[in-house]
Amino acid sequence: MSQSLAVRPAQDAVTLARVREIVEQLAARDRSGEILTAVHHIPAREAKFAPMPEWVRAELVAAYGEKGVAELYSHQAAAAEAVRAGRNTVVVTPTASGKTLCYNLPVLNAVLENPDTRALYVFPTKALAQDQLAELHDLSARLGHRFGVFTYDGDTPSDARKAIREQGHIVLSNPDMLHTGILPHHTRWQRLFENLRYVVLDELHTYRGVFGSHLANVLRRLRRIARFYGADPQFICSSATIANPGELASRLAETEFEVIEENGAPAGEKFFIFYNPPVVNRFLGIRRSYINEASRVAQEFLKRKLQTIVFANSRLHTEVLLTYLQQANPMPPGQPPAIRGYRGGYLPGERREIERGLREGRIRGVVSTNALELGIDVGSLDATIMAGYPGTIASTWQRAGRAGRRSGSSCAVLVASSSPLDQFIAQHPDYFFGRSPEHAFVQPDNLEILVNHLKCAAFELPIAANETFGGINVPELCERLSEAGFLHRTGEHWHWTQEAYPADAVSLRSVTSDNFVIVDTTQETEVIGEVDFSSALTIVHPKAIYLHQGQQYHVERLDFEERKAYVKRVDVDYFTDAIRYTQVRVLERAAGDRIVLLPHSPCESSGGADAHAARSHGDVLVRSQVVGFKKIKFFTNENVGDGKLELPENEMHTTAFWLTLERPLVASLPFSVSDRQSGMFGLLHALESIATLLLMCDARDLGTAIGERPPSPGSEIEWDESPGIEAAAALAEKEFFEPNLYLYDAYPGGIGFSEPLYRAHNLLLTKTRELIAGCPCEKGCPSCVGPLGERGERAKEAALEILFRLGV
Amino acid sequence: MSLTDKFAHIAALRPARKREVAPPRAADLSPECDRLAQLLGAQIRRNHYGEHLSLQQWYATPEMCTPDARSLSLLLPRGTPEAHAIAESSADPEQWLFLDTETTGLAGGTGTYAFLVGLAWWDAGGLQVEQFFMRDLDEEHSLLLELSERMARRPVLVTFNGKCFDWPLLETRYRMTRAIPSFTPKVHLDLLHPARQLWRLRLGSVRLQELERHILAVEGHALEWSRHDDIDSSLIPEMYFDYLRGGAAEPLAGVFRHNQMDLRGLAALAGKILTLIDSGNGAADAPHHSTHDPLDLYSLSRLLQRRGNPARARELYETALHVGLPHPVERLAQRELAHLAKRELDYTRATSLWEELRQAPKVVKRNAAGILQEDAQRALEAAIEAAEQLAIYYEHRAKQPRRAAELTSHAIAELRGAQLAGGIGAARARRIEGRLARRLARLERHGVIRTTHKLLRAGNV
Repeated sequence: MSQSLAVRPAQDAVTLARVREIVEQLAARDRSGEILTAVHHIPAREAKFAPMPEWVRAELVAAYGEKGVAELYSHQAAAAEAVRAGRNTVVVTPTASGKTLCYNLPVLNAVLENPDTRALYVFPTKALAQDQLAELHDLSARLGHRFGVFTYDGDTPSDARKAIREQGHIVLSNPDMLHTGILPHHTRWQRLFENLRYVVLDELHTYRGVFGSHLANVLRRLRRIARFYGADPQFICSSATIANPGELASRLAETEFEVIEENGAPAGEKFFIFYNPPVVNRFLGIRRSYINEASRVAQEFLKRKLQTIVFANSRLHTEVLLTYLQQANPMPPGQPPAIRGYRGGYLPGERREIERGLREGRIRGVVSTNALELGIDVGSLDATIMAGYPGTIASTWQRAGRAGRRSGSSCAVLVASSSPLDQFIAQHPDYFFGRSPEHAFVQPDNLEILVNHLKCAAFELPIAANETFGGINVPELCERLSEAGFLHRTGEHWHWTQEAYPADAVSLRSVTSDNFVIVDTTQETEVIGEVDFSSALTIVHPKAIYLHQGQQYHVERLDFEERKAYVKRVDVDYFTDAIRYTQVRVLERAAGDRIVLLPHSPCESSGGADAHAARSHGDVLVRSQVVGFKKIKFFTNENVGDGKLELPENEMHTTAFWLTLERPLVASLPFSVSDRQSGMFGLLHALESIATLLLMCDARDLGTAIGERPPSPGSEIEWDESPGIEAAAALAEKEFFEPNLYLYDAYPGGIGFSEPLYRAHNLLLTKTRELIAGCPCEKGCPSCVGPLGERGERAKEAALEILFRLGV
Repeated sequence: MSLTDKFAHIAALRPARKREVAPPRAADLSPECDRLAQLLGAQIRRNHYGEHLSLQQWYATPEMCTPDARSLSLLLPRGTPEAHAIAESSADPEQWLFLDTETTGLAGGTGTYAFLVGLAWWDAGGLQVEQFFMRDLDEEHSLLLELSERMARRPVLVTFNGKCFDWPLLETRYRMTRAIPSFTPKVHLDLLHPARQLWRLRLGSVRLQELERHILAVEGHALEWSRHDDIDSSLIPEMYFDYLRGGAAEPLAGVFRHNQMDLRGLAALAGKILTLIDSGNGAADAPHHSTHDPLDLYSLSRLLQRRGNPARARELYETALHVGLPHPVERLAQRELAHLAKRELDYTRATSLWEELRQAPKVVKRNAAGILQEDAQRALEAAIEAAEQLAIYYEHRAKQPRRAAELTSHAIAELRGAQLAGGIGAARARRIEGRLARRLARLERHGVIRTTHKLLRAGNV
């Protein structure tokens, strides 16, 4: 990657003029002023340079010099110095700031100083490792092939593996391969481990939630094996901008980190536009289709000859947008289309061809899933259009960074969908453009995950009685594993005593490997997908309509014992929505506190008054059952029928954050019982949306429930033993005496969300109020408190009243 | 809530198997360990790493074989200049060490143990077997130390599938000790590969027990050991785990016996393979159709041909063809034989074989156990290849381009027929057809232009 500042003044001026023209045109169309919620101008940033450190070897200086890198950016120099000084380092940089140099420079220097030095680079995906390989091969050639660099992944031919293990100074891999391919066979990697000096973790922010919690355990195993061979590697990480990069790195690698955040790379000026499709039905809160709007906006750029990338959040939407844009930009017959699609599922050769076409400017536009968000070099484009909020601020910036790399003008447009998150972001640009509020969380001590990795660790090396592994009591857990037949204690060690290979059964993407297989029986029986256990009952219950790659399937039968769902292809005009009956029992309150009104709070003049509410977090048991389903018509969202289901209930031990509304507060709400209930459910809906925003997670990572507060902490509530569709319906009518509003981790054992929510409850409540209050709908809509049809008329009002009484 | 309650919900802690797990026994060695030693008459070995069990048995059979160095060199990977020198030095059977392990799994990786290591060597006219056994997993170090001492004494390792399985597994175990160096054998003879070359066609499966039944236990005498009460080898890991958890010693006696039989089978197999190759090489009486299955003769010829004895290979192909081979194999043999004849410039024999091949019936039935799809396909291709070879012969040797062109177009027609019938893959067919079409084009260009010129000239005169 070249750092030369080859400015293209003439072309830049044209780009800038065209971008301004589009902005003005969009603004002119927005008569109500509600569509362009932000037109943010980010001025160009000058490079901050630092000299190449003196300790860098002359041949390496020369190799980088040939590539046009004579000086370093300030953050590159700072990172190189920190690594040189032996500190674990995490570099936080935006796209196109030369982050690979931050780790390549010190690592290559160490290899040149001592050819025994070994480094392991871990990328979240295979594609990213491939992309980095090209850069390292180039450097290797310039340095007379004095070091070997290889990728090691599922595609590596078996006859090449031996050479890689012996000759690879730098091995590029991914967490899954480390987990199933390298660690269980560490004796073959003896040379690597004995000399392992650096572990590079790229795109650190992607390791959060379940995946991150697994990675932390894979790293525990990695360090354990390295110790066995007498090595103690240093960590070098890179991350997109998040609020807690240092904390995340420390949680993942369980060691101290130095954080380098100041960015010295130059950047061209950029316009960042939030485009909120116009409201077509204010009462129901319905907006114009964001897909169509995104296509229209993209077309404005394409017709002005600006090279444009369009991001969609699903494969289906990628294809739809691609069709629209190809129709709008026809090519003469026989010529390749000027607009291309890019997503997982395309063949590698085709992908490389598209990447090249983009770099060379032959391809004018590309519609992509998140596959082009990270790393892959496609050169610098003029504009990024995002059809829908990518889910996190970090991802949004990474996608926006695809346009306008170092110099020149560029533009990014976020077209918001009507989901609560999109609406919150579109209407609160300050939240987006200010300091990142996003925290990445992991829970490496999730017992389910940890036990699985402890098994893998025992396979790799017998576990000593005095060993530590995360925050658990190793001997106690090993005894349990012995009783279950996995381990056997001999003297001071536990040994693996199973024929099976434990890593094979542990997927890094889910908490348990208990999955349902979906079998299409339309013609020949064929497995078309898998869903994890916890979502199976809501997605593939009998009579459900299951959507797979845009095709509808009707679930004929669910075989619970065999974990199989049998489906047939259908074409119907409705989808199904499962009715879940969820009860939560508090097992142990880890922490709790009363909510106190602040002096400046709206409803209390004297400071420090009790809001008659409390917040808590702790262990809970969630019992849920799918008791029925609704058939909902496409486009109109009419309820066109429902059905009862008798399915086994599912019990899960997890962690939760909850708010308790005490009797005085509930009683003082000036609403009918059913409106109060609506307000509580509406509030919970909005709380969940904001929680996903703060936790950088997905809606399916969190569950919600409302239940009566137990009489005293720790005491048991009565389970409703005969839940059914009537009970579920009654729940919405029933009056709660002192309700608990639960936000629980949707994974067995919890994935580390509850405690952060407890700590950040003020932010959570404030932003929730902003979401509801800022929503332009009249009485509640899917973007704030949930669809009007499911809530009472006054849900929005009641939810805001509760928040007001909580002091926000 | 206590930790114990939390464990109750962890899926990863659910027992791995449905059957009852034996209660763990006391930390020190239980009576069952001593009982196993008593039961088998095994001894306890001690060194500075600790203890393990050792069981020695001497068997009068199989008898020692003395390999011929030339035959031996045919079993070693070709292309290494020192292969012959190595064979010379390993021709001393006193240097041989047979090895077979029983393990806690087949998956490999660092968590698989070789809990029983069986060794055998020729001694006093018979076979001395010694088995090392870990009564518990912490006896591994002392076992590995003793093993490397035994191996240093006899540096020629002989195994069955040891190159892919037993030896890498043991190397992993040595590396895991971080202390005991593994002894690298001077030569490692893995008999699986020659066995596969020699008998796959006839038997299909070349598992050691199949070889015992069909190859070793024939020629008028049965084996001295019987597999009728042998254990099911897939149960071995579970049997050992049960024993570790305090289960009875008796089932393990069956594992010892199984390993002993495997070692005796291995030693007998080594003798059988070497005798066969000796005879093929001319170091002993030539194999005769009365004592040898023609399929075996064909396989032996293939082995000799591949490993550098084409002259003997040609003789044996002729014998096998003379005795009679099932159809697809017959064609393969003819094809190879024609190839060898051509190399010796014996065009008379080569062309007669090609003619025979070319005219052979095209429908191929797979009528022998070990004939794979690829063998059948190769036999089918042999007809087309024969036509092509003949075309080459007529073009360059016999100087009859018309005949060559005829044969080439005939081959193309054959090929298309075969492809339509599904006997040959599309990609392969395309490649062959490309080659044939180029030849035909060249022949026509030359032939037709010349003919046309002649005609024109004739007309002008």
